[in-house]
Amino acid sequence: MATDRSRRRTWTLSVAVLATLIILYLTTGVASGLRSGANLVVTPFSWAVNEIARPAGHFFAGTVNYSDVVAQNQKLRYQLGEAEQRANEGWAYARQLQQLTTELDVPFVGSLATVSAQVTTLSPTNFAATVDISKGRDNGVLVGMPVVANGGLIGSVIGTTPHGATVRLISDTASLVGVTFASGKTDIVVAGRGLNNGLSASSVPLGTSVVQGTHLTTDGLNGGLFPAGLPVATVKTVTLTPGAATYNLTLQPAADLRHLAYVDVVLWEPSP
Amino acid sequence: MRRLIVPVTLTTLVVVAVQLSIFSSLRFGGVVVMIVWLWPLAMGLAGLTALALWSALIAGVFFDTHASTPFGLTALVAVALAYGASRLGREGVGDLDSAAWWVTPLIAAGAGLVAPLIFVGASFFTLNFSLWRDSLLSAMAVNAVAFFLLARPITRLARWVGSLGGSRR
Repeated sequence: MATDRSRRRTWTLSVAVLATLIILYLTTGVASGLRSGANLVVTPFSWAVNEIARPAGHFFAGTVNYSDVVAQNQKLRYQLGEAEQRANEGWAYARQLQQLTTELDVPFVGSLATVSAQVTTLSPTNFAATVDISKGRDNGVLVGMPVVANGGLIGSVIGTTPHGATVRLISDTASLVGVTFASGKTDIVVAGRGLNNGLSASSVPLGTSVVQGTHLTTDGLNGGLFPAGLPVATVKTVTLTPGAATYNLTLQPAADLRHLAYVDVVLWEPSP
Repeated sequence: MRRLIVPVTLTTLVVVAVQLSIFSSLRFGGVVVMIVWLWPLAMGLAGLTALALWSALIAGVFFDTHASTPFGLTALVAVALAYGASRLGREGVGDLDSAAWWVTPLIAAGAGLVAPLIFVGASFFTLNFSLWRDSLLSAMAVNAVAFFLLARPITRLARWVGSLGGSRR
């Protein structure tokens, strides 16, 4: 009897706690406060584990200067990414010049200020493609700002702290990016399919000239989430389901999303 | 149980830290092995029902503070696994001493297989309908294999932590 009562009490408590969690989640302001508080508790443990795990990991890697090599490698990847980005942007510049219309009013990353940041952690879970970076509100990084690296757009800022920020990658399943191709004549929406699966686009009109290797850049439509001309992806495959009136595309991100070490936050805010 | 709250809580926080510092970076086939789910499962299999639920809640909530997935989902899955495992643990199923060596790993593998599925299913209740598009099948397969391999040592650790209080429940 007593066991039944204690079991019932345990269950009631568990249900109440879970209900509270759901309510906290739905009222996001409280949830983010809770996140920050809980972060503070876990941080010392993470630090201690890191301190133990890092040397052990280096030891098993078997090379004396492993950390230096990794750091150098990351820096080189960053520089290579910057070079690739400039090359990709050149293509977008050419397209814009051809338009000869309102390009003076179109913001572009080349003329926008950026803040460089280091990637501190990758998403700890299987179901979100995010990274944490080392610059936050104190450096002018705000929610909604685009983030570029490794040759193209990698995502946008979804959360900030004074000294850090969380970036949702374009490959996240919740990510949607408006892009354009065919000299700006066609606008479509690119959706993330998860960190391991790249990007895709559906409902691409049959009349458009889309082929493998077509470059897609952000459309910069008025009220859009990104400035125009940021390289997003190239077309990998074009499929047409029999009977369908639109193409489906699988896309290769322009930026290498798997090896992010340094990123640039574009100090550009979406217009309301 | 009260005497065990502190050691279990501290061990759980260490498990969360190990998850965040090591397992979340060590991706196998692009998949993260979720020891924050395995730990409460092992506590449950060790027959520590209330502590398994407590550790599930703590591990899940603290892990959720670091992830951008809907807050509380990891905790929900952990609690479900802990409850299921503790039902088995109370019956002695999966006991490391009396059952065949493969029983505990097999139960854990089953849990590793269904846990990502529960996670994605539960995400619908938070009005998030996009999580299923990620690597669900790989997450299920990799976690099942990892849980199979790690089940015995983690359950042994859970039993050891449980023995700190002097008796098993």
